[in-house]
Amino acid sequence: MFNYTFHWNQALRALPQMLEGALVTLQIAVLSMAIGLAIAIALTLFRLSGNRALGGFARAWVEVARNTPALFQIYMAHFGLGGIGIHLSPYTALLAGIAFNNAGYLAENFRGALKAIPDTQTRAGRSLGMSALQSFRLIVLPQMLRVAFLPMTNQMVWAILMTSLGVTVGMNTDLAGITQDLNARSFRTFEFFALAAVIYYVIAKLVTLAARLIAWRMFRY
Amino acid sequence: MKTSAIALALATATALTTPAFADKLDDIISSGTLRCAVVLDFPPMGSRDENNEPIGFDVDYCNDLAAALGVEAEIIETPFPERIPALMSGRVDVGVASTSDTLERAKTVGMSIPYFAFEMAVTANDKAGIGSFDDLKGKTVGATAGTFEAIALEEQVKAWGEGSFRPYQTQADVFLALSQGQIDATVSTSTVAQANVKTGNFPGITVVGKAPFDTDYVALFTNREEYGMLNYLNLFVNQQVRTGRYAELYEKWVGGELPDLTVSGVYR
Repeated sequence: MFNYTFHWNQALRALPQMLEGALVTLQIAVLSMAIGLAIAIALTLFRLSGNRALGGFARAWVEVARNTPALFQIYMAHFGLGGIGIHLSPYTALLAGIAFNNAGYLAENFRGALKAIPDTQTRAGRSLGMSALQSFRLIVLPQMLRVAFLPMTNQMVWAILMTSLGVTVGMNTDLAGITQDLNARSFRTFEFFALAAVIYYVIAKLVTLAARLIAWRMFRY
Repeated sequence: MKTSAIALALATATALTTPAFADKLDDIISSGTLRCAVVLDFPPMGSRDENNEPIGFDVDYCNDLAAALGVEAEIIETPFPERIPALMSGRVDVGVASTSDTLERAKTVGMSIPYFAFEMAVTANDKAGIGSFDDLKGKTVGATAGTFEAIALEEQVKAWGEGSFRPYQTQADVFLALSQGQIDATVSTSTVAQANVKTGNFPGITVVGKAPFDTDYVALFTNREEYGMLNYLNLFVNQQVRTGRYAELYEKWVGGELPDLTVSGVYR
């Protein structure tokens, strides 16, 4: 039933344009990871703080981020906030949506990682004369990041793939946006989507390899 | 001798019973169903009524086509970007989906002669201070991704060298963004603009004038190599005009002056 002659040439001619879009995709993914990481550490501290309001806030964030679709989170960042007069551009809305999602998942990763670090580590730090914050920052946090590192690369790959949801809020400079635009002009859906899929795959693969390399360098001992 | 005679008889019988060449037109007639891709987010061409039933010009047009073929019509809701995958994967037989007949797209699908023509209108957010198309220079504008007007508007924004363009996935998102002030203005078909302003779902927007783009002729489409089907579609479009049915449907869904489907000075 599949009745189609592929025009690969046409798709390959658009490759430079698509690679430019891939750079934007990577940029958003990296930025969203950096922002998500900072927020996730804050959320983890909130939970540890024992303050009920802060702890509740952190739990609520994680609940919403992990149990609602990423598409919905990005859509709300653009149209939801737009409804109350806060206007985020497609780029910012996409970045905010993914960072929100990243923060929720990373905070949960950190919680798991913290459980893997015995209390005796903190107590050892305290017995050396460190303050509670010092022993967290210098002893627990580095070990937590080490345990959480590989799950973090998963989240990075997921962040790259989530950028493709930007088309729903009018994003047209990333890989998915450019692909969608090329598709609409020419109706050569399968060639452009196949090419985009290959590019996404290669980026995700490279990121995983880079993460392995970093892990090998950092955690050899 | 005897066995070869039987073999010959069998071969002849097989040749007679299996159709030599069934094309899409035959397939539709023998299946008894015509499956049309229709965009139901594009009033007054396609939308849903209170009972969630598909209505609109394109819906009626598909029903007419099915009636002419003597089969049942099946309306398959298809968003703009999914029209071609739906056709290529065999989920629909024909697109009655307000599809602009660009030369680029004709490399992929077979287009009929135009069955409808759109004028382009500018709709602006009241706070943006836009009175005409030229005021769009430097503003943030948007349109439905991949449509005729989106492509023309994006090129215009690039030519101006200032302002920005945002493609949204659905017409509803464009008007939502416009109403919220996320974008200052949009260019859409005038029929859609008026229909959306009239619903009152999108407060704070007004149709401010025409956009100086070419008339957007839209065609029915099917697979590129289905000449039998394309020939039938062309004749059908012609007959719709000839019998006055086109004018009747236009009056029912749009109203006002009937657009001309021909371009003077050329045959097609």
